[in-house]
Amino acid sequence: MNTPTTACQTPTGTKHADVVLEGHKLSMSFGSRAVFKDIDVRVNHNEVLAIVGGSGSGKSTLMRQLALLQTPTSGSVTVFGTSVSDMDDVDTNTLRRRLGVMFQHGALFGDLTVLENICVPLQEHTDLSPHLIEQVAMVKVALAGLKADAAALYPSQLSGGMRKRAAVARGIALDPEVLFLDEPSSGLDPISADAMDELVLELKQTLGLTIVLVTHDMDSLWRIADRIVMLADGAIAAEGGIHELVESDNEVARQFFHSRRGRASGAMYDQ
Amino acid sequence: MTTRIEISADQATAHCRGRWTAPYLHAVDKQLASMNWPAGLTRFDLTGLEELDTVGAWLLHRTINQLNNAPGTPPNQIRIDGADQQVLSLLQLVKEKAAGAEQPRHPYQPGILENAGRHVVGQLRQYQEFLIFIGQLTLVAILVMLRPWRIRWPQVVAELQAAGVNALAIVGLLTFLIGIVIAYQGGVVLRDYGANIYVADIVGLSMVRELAPLITAIIIAGRTGSAYTAQIGTMMVTEEVDALRSIGISPLEMLALPKLIALVIALPLLTVFADAMGLFGGLIMANTMLGLNPTTFINRLAEALTLNSYLSGIGKAPVFAFIIVAVGCFQGFRVRGSAGSVGRQTTISVVQSIFLVIIVDAAFSIGFSKLGI
Repeated sequence: MNTPTTACQTPTGTKHADVVLEGHKLSMSFGSRAVFKDIDVRVNHNEVLAIVGGSGSGKSTLMRQLALLQTPTSGSVTVFGTSVSDMDDVDTNTLRRRLGVMFQHGALFGDLTVLENICVPLQEHTDLSPHLIEQVAMVKVALAGLKADAAALYPSQLSGGMRKRAAVARGIALDPEVLFLDEPSSGLDPISADAMDELVLELKQTLGLTIVLVTHDMDSLWRIADRIVMLADGAIAAEGGIHELVESDNEVARQFFHSRRGRASGAMYDQ
Repeated sequence: MTTRIEISADQATAHCRGRWTAPYLHAVDKQLASMNWPAGLTRFDLTGLEELDTVGAWLLHRTINQLNNAPGTPPNQIRIDGADQQVLSLLQLVKEKAAGAEQPRHPYQPGILENAGRHVVGQLRQYQEFLIFIGQLTLVAILVMLRPWRIRWPQVVAELQAAGVNALAIVGLLTFLIGIVIAYQGGVVLRDYGANIYVADIVGLSMVRELAPLITAIIIAGRTGSAYTAQIGTMMVTEEVDALRSIGISPLEMLALPKLIALVIALPLLTVFADAMGLFGGLIMANTMLGLNPTTFINRLAEALTLNSYLSGIGKAPVFAFIIVAVGCFQGFRVRGSAGSVGRQTTISVVQSIFLVIIVDAAFSIGFSKLGI
């Protein structure tokens, strides 16, 4: 048997167009205050797309719209080639099963253990026996990089890094095709943050996941992002691979990557 | 093609067919539970596999593993055929992560005896903590009373509005209806004896001495006590209580005391209102059912109700108010960790405060009768 680390594998049989998610002219406004306007964004199969931008630039909102958690004020989201606005709730819920989300603070159910948290989506959407569901959940615990004993703990007993891993484990419970990560390394110590980056890469390679993430973490951008969408002033200010953005003369990208933190991270990756 | 396992005619090959993904695998799961594997099985053929996810990979790995380790068979006799690179790498991945998956971990479940013991100790500790809390609350209240300019009046006023004014309608309606019911029940008996006039005694004494204070306290315990627990409990979950402490504000002084002051003022006033509405209900019923003139009813009330009976009713209200605030806030501060905990403590808060209100009311009745009030 070969090692599972060759890039760009997909679970067998899933048929993909190259573009998995597409946002067309997305806008969001709260009352009269527009957060962003007419944004076009696409997510390709098996890539890690990072959405970055200053606080309040709407990057989390954009991710929530792509994850079908928030309806855009105007514009439409197309998931796996079907436009969501044409669908009823039942169809949208079916579609949501193919999208996994890790929320910034985990959003684990506080009254359930880690294992039970991961079992929830499996119990809800499959007819598998309880015994099998628990075994599969244990596999997800291991996939997310947690020790088996952590499965018996309640969320309040977990450290920040473990909570994020548990949230990832619940996010991938149903083998989604796209995984959304909201600030996966925020609030983690450097070692846990590095481990989180490695986990994202491993999931991308082994399970063939497409990953959309919101982050502030320069090191994560260098390490894992295939493509970066940079939001500023309610629009996409820059878009592309990290080397393109660093070398571009785009004002926003320049400020971002030539901030003190940006330079420090860049130096480590020989930029 | 349906998702299933088929054993070939020569009993040597198991063909896996269909979509081996979470939504379709329940059929295979059932099939495996009652599967009689032929002894000569040596091959799993995956050519019929349309799709495989981690659930399918786990099921396949578990099955093959069990067959390979079954007693009385040569080890590693099962061969996998017809799998492409992706299937193989997924199987390899699951195999790497499979350690510990056979035994899902659960938190330690104590036995009956241990559970009972934990429960008893927990209850005793809770009583102790409640007594400590009452002591602290009283101390804070006395200290602030000595320096009244430190009372947070804007909050007291807001609590008065929420617990008092906003409760007028429900308290008024319910006690009005209870006044009607009492007058009706009493009237049915009294009419037979031609003693219609004494309906005023029955309604007056029972409403003013017992029912109005008790019903009002129960409504407020359910309506306002639960709100206290939920508010403080949520603040515990979001660490707002700790934030208060870090700024140097005593949570008791900030959160509990304004509620205590407000409810000690509001509950007696609500009880007066409840008295009036209950008597009004009795008056209406006496008039329509027994034909008792309102003036006669009111004159009879004035004779039947002494100041003592009136005050013994109103006097209980501040004590009930203290119980409701103490229990509501205490249970709020006991919330730990999660949203579920807020729900549990809120339930406990309402049950306990109603329970204590009724117990204390009974104690008052016994005390008053001994004193001859």
